Amino acid sequence: MDKYEKLLDMVMDFDETVRFAAVTDENGEILWNSQRTGLKNIVPVSETKQTILRALHAWRDNAGVKKNIGSGLYSIASYEKIKRITVPLDNGRLLFCSVDNEPLKTAINRRKSYGHLANMGKILSIVDFIKSQK
Amino acid sequence: MGRYEKVLNMLMDYDESIRLAVISNTSGDILWNSKRSSTQLQVPIAETKKALKRESQDWVDRCKAADRMALGAPLYHITSFEKTKRVTLPIDAFHLLFLSVDNTPMKNTKKKSYGKLVEMGKILSIVDFVNTFE
Repeated sequence: MDKYEKLLDMVMDFDETVRFAAVTDENGEILWNSQRTGLKNIVPVSETKQTILRALHAWRDNAGVKKNIGSGLYSIASYEKIKRITVPLDNGRLLFCSVDNEPLKTAINRRKSYGHLANMGKILSIVDFIKSQK
Repeated sequence: MGRYEKVLNMLMDYDESIRLAVISNTSGDILWNSKRSSTQLQVPIAETKKALKRESQDWVDRCKAADRMALGAPLYHITSFEKTKRVTLPIDAFHLLFLSVDNTPMKNTKKKSYGKLVEMGKILSIVDFVNTFE
């Protein structure tokens, strides 16, 4: 199994709110992807590809501020129903995840909810683990 | 005091890790800004302006995507770097809020730290609060 397939398996196993995960090359072509069984896509694949291209463009631009604020770790675009996460990998590759963001129905507090917290520490530690594999 | 200045003041008061808060129009031109007096900007203002231009275009695309698909309203976008998080969110149809937030990991953490959590719920509730008075 390629290490990026392993990355997708680990990300999908770690968190049931991850609906879809993909690894792309530097041109935005999806190399591997994993879709949660039983869930329908909210977003057509063609739209996801547009999002990935926009993210790749932004990460290329962001390379210009590395000397000022360090390497890019991740980006999250949050909508009411889903979060779209990108994490730059090595060789220009990108991890893309679509995560459920519906507010919890069992929330005790009465304040307005803006959705789930994405556990980025855990996702980044999985990415670091995979990067360390040959 | 206008409501946009009020948003900037409330955000700077709420969280000391916010270094710079900017309100731009949908073309990414800076209209109002507030910089924490005790800190130096890590990123040259020219780079921030460039990021704002790109983010404003990306927000147009995100809003169009939300119109086409059942994503719900777009809430915010975070790009996390080792030392800084950049947060953008639309505060109304014509204005974008940009925040540069300190992301330096806390010194006392035992595990590898990927930086600090940005309390987006609080930030969004401040924006919602100010918007209710307009």
